Amino acid sequence: MTRSPDGRPSPVVSLQFDRVDRRYEPGAPLTARYRVEGLGDEPIEAVEHSVLWYTEGKGEEDLGVHFFARVEGEAARPGDGTITFHTRLPASPLSYEGVIVKVRWCARVRIFFRAARDFVSEHVFEVGRLPPARLVTAEAP
Amino acid sequence: MRLPRVFGKKRGHRRTGSQIWGTVGDAAFHAALLLAGIVFGGLLVSGVAVPEWRINHDYLPARCTVVGKRIERRVADRLPGAWHAALLLRYETDGTVREAWAWPEPAAGAGDRDQAVRRLAAWPLGDEVPGWYDPAAPGTVVLQRGYNWWMWLLALLLPGALIAFGGAGLLRAARRWGKSEEHRAASAGLPELLDPLAQRPRASQGHPTVPCCDDLVNSPGTILRYRLPIESPENWTLLGFGLFALLWNAVLTVLAVQAGIDLLGGRRDWLLFALLLPFAIVGIAGIAVFIRGIILASAVGTTQVEIADHPLRPGGSYGLMLAQAGSGEFRELSLSLELEERATFRQGTDTRSERVVVWRQPIRVWQDVELSPGTRFEAHATVRVPPTAMHSFASEHNSVRWMLVVHGTPTRWPAFQRVFPLVVFPPAAEAAEVMR
Amino acid sequence: MNSMHGAMLPPEFASDTRPGNPFATRYTRPGAIPPLDRHGIPLDVAALASRFEAVTAAAIEGPHGHGKSTLLCALAATLHAVGRPVTIVQIRDWHDACTACIAIVTAPRRTAVFVDGWERLGLLAGPMRLVARMLRRRLLITSHRPAGLPVLWTCATTPALLRAIVARVPDHGGVVNEMDIDAAFQRHGGNIRETLSDLYDTIERRSRLPSTALPS
Repeated sequence: MTRSPDGRPSPVVSLQFDRVDRRYEPGAPLTARYRVEGLGDEPIEAVEHSVLWYTEGKGEEDLGVHFFARVEGEAARPGDGTITFHTRLPASPLSYEGVIVKVRWCARVRIFFRAARDFVSEHVFEVGRLPPARLVTAEAP
Repeated sequence: MRLPRVFGKKRGHRRTGSQIWGTVGDAAFHAALLLAGIVFGGLLVSGVAVPEWRINHDYLPARCTVVGKRIERRVADRLPGAWHAALLLRYETDGTVREAWAWPEPAAGAGDRDQAVRRLAAWPLGDEVPGWYDPAAPGTVVLQRGYNWWMWLLALLLPGALIAFGGAGLLRAARRWGKSEEHRAASAGLPELLDPLAQRPRASQGHPTVPCCDDLVNSPGTILRYRLPIESPENWTLLGFGLFALLWNAVLTVLAVQAGIDLLGGRRDWLLFALLLPFAIVGIAGIAVFIRGIILASAVGTTQVEIADHPLRPGGSYGLMLAQAGSGEFRELSLSLELEERATFRQGTDTRSERVVVWRQPIRVWQDVELSPGTRFEAHATVRVPPTAMHSFASEHNSVRWMLVVHGTPTRWPAFQRVFPLVVFPPAAEAAEVMR
Repeated sequence: MNSMHGAMLPPEFASDTRPGNPFATRYTRPGAIPPLDRHGIPLDVAALASRFEAVTAAAIEGPHGHGKSTLLCALAATLHAVGRPVTIVQIRDWHDACTACIAIVTAPRRTAVFVDGWERLGLLAGPMRLVARMLRRRLLITSHRPAGLPVLWTCATTPALLRAIVARVPDHGGVVNEMDIDAAFQRHGGNIRETLSDLYDTIERRSRLPSTALPS
């Protein structure tokens, strides 16, 4: 069992994508399954899982949620089994490794505990096959 | 050195800074605003709006005779000069003769005491004047009806603003309460409700985050299909200089006229004279800068770019036509395709933007271009979008933008740069399959 | 724009992915790193919160980019965690100035009002301070210069502090070293925000191979 910075037990979310390399084409179907361990007896309020893109870099973080689901109450406790969800990815945005703007796709699992704390597990995957940007000028064709 | 691997070992736990801010204080604050608006609004409605409405709808007409006059200061109006004329009226209601005081000009104070006394002469004793009495309280009579719309506006404006602000904030707090950032972003319309003034770019149909290009394709070209709009901060700069010069010199003129009047009257205001010199320097400099800008803009001439198709796709080739007007010689005129990233961020209480050009491809360069007034330089070129190009992207604080950039170096004038935005879509599904 | 919040502890976060650039805003914004003193040791925010509770108004002072907003957010979160609601207003333009006025006048009795960027209020600052005093509003401000309020904390930066901050961001794999950190600190005159932005650029420059560039 792992511990959070404030000493309380932390859950561990093991999430697998249906593609081992985690690379998807825009418009492709995505399936993910996850298992949560280390919940202990702490009562949970809800569990959410989502597929979203977010920006990272020098700017304020923006995000766009493509798929979202929430389960309330103790029915949300995943128990011993895995939870699976499916979605079809949109045509854009593609994953992009820019200089001051990066676009990332991820699946997030968020667990809300009754004790007014929540835990987020993020799992990045790629959409598209774009090379990283760079700062130098390209040669003339 | 390689880019950091995206997938690696777990990096452990941390607190992030981009997470939820709770709404307890927020909700209480907005609830207080809403309550203040309701209470204030209620007081104004009951004290101003309702009485005025009753006067116009419920009060009954009566013929009143002026049997007495006086001037007075009302309790709510104990200001120097705020005297009012008041008339003692005799009138009949349901067979009963009554007498009551009324104010012929209730809204306005009469000015000073002597003015108020003079105004009383307009209502001689024994005169008959039309009046209206309150059937619920026949001892109340008024001499004027109608609506004071300004009072209604003021009565509703402040409480209305408090109710709108407080109510909207409370609604936002309620809808946001307990919601994760993913949940808020996923709720339809909620991001707009939470931050109505945020500038969210419009996306193209079927392509989230790819900017809508309607504004880029609504101008047909003369030779190619579309004429691209120009993104020209220099026009706004010129307008800004013009407005500044106008306002500054208007103030300067007022000061100069005042100084002149003082001088003619034999008065010397040394402070005013001392201010005039630096003001005049700035004013003349402002005019000079503005005129220089006008000359530059007209000397260099307009730049137009037309394109054979739009939006663009990675791997595609598109015909371009560049047209440059103006006069004189250009040492060099160049056209290039650029990719720029923009990020807006908050630094404490400052909001800053950073722009970085991450890719540039020269398309064509023309040397020693000669322009005559009334004619324009026209040239054709082809732009190729790299097959692995990132598409145009725009979110609230971040963007990836493609643009055509025309850079000119006139012989006699400073170099200029003009930018024409483009939108590049992600590759079409079939093209993506081929690339794979 | 209105920027009213009450603060809560941010959630605990885990990822199976190494960050692209450890100096990205998501890892360095106020709240991501706890406030540290000039030696790089975490501040006792609870003690500062108790000191604030003992007064009706106080100020956090310091130049640009020295951690005032970070400390303000941490104090708000700490107070909120013990049931003391807080309203924060960040002053960026005249809308926020109006919001701050309204907050001071109408905030419920137990709610403390935190104003980030007090010096931006200009001539409004004096009247607002007077109104807050008359209404006995609990007020905490950040300011670049003395604001006539008891000083709760003066933010100052040192190379040691910057090194402690860098140690707390996700691992950069040795792309920047202590010399880079100290040089960036000197270049930006102790402004931590600008320094972290500079280190971000350094990571990006050093991490990109020409062979991975966008092809022509």
